[in-house]
Amino acid sequence: MLRVLVADDSRVMRQIVVRTLRQAGYDWDVREAPDGAAALEMVRADEPDLVLSDWNMPEMTGIELLRALRREGFDTPFAFVTSEGSPEMRQTADEAGALFLIAKPFTAETFRDAIEPVLA
Amino acid sequence: MSPLAPFDTVQITAIAEEVFAAMVDGEPGHLVPWAGDAPVLAEPLHAWVEIHGTFAGRTLLSTDVSTADDLARALLGMPADEAVSEEDLVDAFGEVVNVVGGNLKALLPVQEKLTMPRVGRTAPDTHGATRIDGVVLAWRGRPLDVSVWQI
Repeated sequence: MLRVLVADDSRVMRQIVVRTLRQAGYDWDVREAPDGAAALEMVRADEPDLVLSDWNMPEMTGIELLRALRREGFDTPFAFVTSEGSPEMRQTADEAGALFLIAKPFTAETFRDAIEPVLA
Repeated sequence: MSPLAPFDTVQITAIAEEVFAAMVDGEPGHLVPWAGDAPVLAEPLHAWVEIHGTFAGRTLLSTDVSTADDLARALLGMPADEAVSEEDLVDAFGEVVNVVGGNLKALLPVQEKLTMPRVGRTAPDTHGATRIDGVVLAWRGRPLDVSVWQI
């Protein structure tokens, strides 16, 4: 079973992401982190198969988390689920090594469209 | 002209409707323009995010606490009779304004930093702020005010 780490400071949004993953047909093992710093610790302790991260979080933002992971040698597949999906942010995410960026609000179909090509 | 001036009721309504259809209700049609005069909120709750940069703006959502409770229940998949904690209430309403504000921000010609959402029973200080535009919507028949401010 694929193991995913969902990082978002909003418990509500983490729950929505987990629910949407299930609705999209991904019955994955899900762990949750309340911010980027906690997510970094969780990856260090037990690297998941995929990180789905919010961008704007206290302690450590999503892009800081991604850069920290790459700096430490983790090539964990990483993607953003964020309320802002401007072209500049997509470019920044892409340049930092993110697989995709899903802008909120999203649907199960949005998740499938982004995730399926990566799994293929 | 304010950089926020392009925001009008049509855009604000469209974004709010999209957010609620995808995130809250799972289908369109439950958030519609309010018919008639804007109502006075009996027990208001406010949620806002701000943009701070070369210019400053705020997206503000206001509704009754009871409506925000139901919003939290809808977002968390809770039954109608389950009590909503203050933490979940703040988290849920804050996340709604975060997504609405983030989508409005994406329409701006320049990218600025979005603050973390804030939620309170008192509206943010309007001293020196100018209301650019806004709209009263009805979510499942209950009022939700969405406005954009220059601050």
